[in-house]
Amino acid sequence: MNIMNIIKKYGTLIGFLSIIIFFTINLPTTFLTANNLINISQQISMLAVVAFTMTIVMVMNDFDLSVGSMASLSGIVAAVLFSMGYPIWIGIIAALLVGIIGGLFNGFLVSIIGILPFVATLGTLTMFSGFAFLVSGGKTIFGRDIPTEFSSFARTGLEITSLDIKIPFLSILALLILLIVWFILEQTIYGRRLYAIGGNTEASFLAGIKVKQLRLSAFALTGLGAAIAGLMYSSRVASSNPTQGSGLMLEAIAAVFLGMTMSEEGEPRVLFTLLGVLILGVLDNGLTQMNVDSYIREILIGFIVILAVAFSSITKRRN
Amino acid sequence: MQKLELLNLSKSFSAFKALSDVNIELLSGETHALMGENGAGKTTLIKILAGILKPDQMVMKIDNNIQKVNSAIDSKNLGFNFIHQELNIVSYLSVAENMFLSHPYPMRYGALINWNKIYKLSKDALKKLDITHINVEDKCASLSTGDQMLVKIASCLIKTETSPTLYVFDEPTAALTIQESEKLFKVISNLKKKKAIILYVSHRMNEILEISDRVTILRDGLNVLTEESSKLSKEKIIRSMIGKDLSDNFPKKTGKLNDKVIIEVSNGHTKNIKNINFKINEGEVLGISGLANSGQREIFNMLMGIDNLVKGKLNFLNKIYKPTGPKDAWKKLISFVPRERRRDALILKMSVKFNTTLPHYAKLSKFFFLANKKKENNITNELSKKVQLKYKNNNQSIYQLSGGNQQKVVFGRALASNPKLLLLDEPTRGVDVGAKLDIYKLIRKLTKNGCGIILNSTDLSEIIGMCDRILVLKNHEQYKIIENLDVTTKDLLSNFYEEKKI
Repeated sequence: MNIMNIIKKYGTLIGFLSIIIFFTINLPTTFLTANNLINISQQISMLAVVAFTMTIVMVMNDFDLSVGSMASLSGIVAAVLFSMGYPIWIGIIAALLVGIIGGLFNGFLVSIIGILPFVATLGTLTMFSGFAFLVSGGKTIFGRDIPTEFSSFARTGLEITSLDIKIPFLSILALLILLIVWFILEQTIYGRRLYAIGGNTEASFLAGIKVKQLRLSAFALTGLGAAIAGLMYSSRVASSNPTQGSGLMLEAIAAVFLGMTMSEEGEPRVLFTLLGVLILGVLDNGLTQMNVDSYIREILIGFIVILAVAFSSITKRRN
Repeated sequence: MQKLELLNLSKSFSAFKALSDVNIELLSGETHALMGENGAGKTTLIKILAGILKPDQMVMKIDNNIQKVNSAIDSKNLGFNFIHQELNIVSYLSVAENMFLSHPYPMRYGALINWNKIYKLSKDALKKLDITHINVEDKCASLSTGDQMLVKIASCLIKTETSPTLYVFDEPTAALTIQESEKLFKVISNLKKKKAIILYVSHRMNEILEISDRVTILRDGLNVLTEESSKLSKEKIIRSMIGKDLSDNFPKKTGKLNDKVIIEVSNGHTKNIKNINFKINEGEVLGISGLANSGQREIFNMLMGIDNLVKGKLNFLNKIYKPTGPKDAWKKLISFVPRERRRDALILKMSVKFNTTLPHYAKLSKFFFLANKKKENNITNELSKKVQLKYKNNNQSIYQLSGGNQQKVVFGRALASNPKLLLLDEPTRGVDVGAKLDIYKLIRKLTKNGCGIILNSTDLSEIIGMCDRILVLKNHEQYKIIENLDVTTKDLLSNFYEEKKI
């Protein structure tokens, strides 16, 4: 194996390890501690859920740009129902339903009507965001309107007394969704078919795969993931505002892209998406601790994503 | 320019000799037809002229001066033009803009486009070929395919200082109506008057004899004949194209035909084909034949449920068959090997196992949703052995296999369900001789077990060597069905060129 092959295969991983080493050296007392790692796991949990479910559509070479505004909308829907006095479970179910319906609508536009995913979900991004403002009246819903049982979910966790740590429920939830997505994509024939569509849509159709129905359903799952992330966010900050999810979409796509640089043939794999999420989360956490300006953080993260994808494109072209 | 000579032209692709020691002399003011069966080397020769392929050996002389074509740009600078079915037309630009695609726009004050001049020059170029019915300000999308072709031809005449020297037409009339073809022939004769050299590639015998001055015939990469058209007949051309009969290479049929009907199509019409009537018994191979794009693909589309039946009836295994799509067809034990394996059949970056099991996931699953890796591996092993696949292991990516082995994976997949009817669309295209024979043997084995087969192939010797009956298509309509008893390639070809008696 020559040096280019090593870079192609392990480049992103090596990059990740160097980032960890860099922060460990620069933040010797605070970075590599159990508390900080648990903290990171909680910080990235929303992004992780969105990125995992984003992987499902990206397996088919599709995109969903609307996940961020869907996360905002679902949080708002739940909060508005809470403020109207409905029980928590109704708010949660309503929010999840909104996610599924919005995702189905995306799938309908992309797969039945035949609009490019980029254009279709750019349109629904704006629509969902508008709905979020409409439903909330443009205001943040907080304070007594949000039941404490709902917000305490994010503040509690599984206590492991022997190690004296508490694993936040948000992190556990993200891990659970990782397992589910991994199971769907890697272990079921449904996942196989999605990868087949991503590899060659026409061949899949001629081999008897119902391409339209599968694309529709995959978008629904991505919508559901976005809705879950929206609820997690609302629970964590004990409030909902119509722009809460706006940063999620770009970072989720970036995480999947980072993950794709690590897989054998450049296809999205959800376990690699997890690594992508970790890279973004660790960078954010470490740079914040080092008091790096948030604008510079954004520049750095964007640059790293481009760097990783550029590297894998170049090495692929050589093969 | 008076004369363009290609001398000692040779080109091989690894072991395969596409062209060996071909000599062709083209004269200005002449329409020179180039003929030959598929794989005879016509396309290779054209690509070499276009600078897309590099010959292993060639001397090109223009008026006795040696010239080199190392790239597409060299070819263009020599004044070579290429017109094929797929035109390089930007449909949302105007005729004039399309004509100026490869020329610099005339400018005003060095910054503004001089539209008047563009329109005028375009009109002039069209006029040179007596084309007056096309408005240069119209969008190309509103033009017929034939008119788009004329625009493309005329665009080579925009520049007046260097007149084009060579026009290569590659099956130009395949997509044209009769009237459009007539217009094209008029333009070609105008080009001739302008002393251009015309190299005309076509399978259409009547056309060739009508418009060409001389004919060169290639067979297996060799120039077997160059002769004046007036001294040629259809029969002589066909004989030279085919050479000796190749049907001896096909494995003999064993076992008898059963009279149990597998599929019966009565009066089948879809939006693309008309009047399809045939019956296939157990163990029978029905060949589909005809000129390119005469409805071959559409017959498969009808049987796979991609194109809906608008009239007529399908009967499969004594039951009315109304396929709702490929999934339904596979489920009912109809397997399909599509024409272009890389585009329509395989997922190149995925593994042998992934591709072999693709249509059968549901059947191989546990509880209808869990992928059963063990079962998948077993069936892949079994099928790969059956089709004699040469590969490393089940997880090897498809793109690492040779063309013949890729096709064997597609075959293995088709066999997984023990199909009752197997649809083969050009199953041996781009497959080496050894793999071809393996595929033929496989077809024989399947028919012996009672599978019915529909085989479409442009390789006529394959049709004759393998099929029991041959369905001839003409203009997306069934022309006739021939019992394959002592049919020769020549008989078959003359069927294609026969005009239908009304």
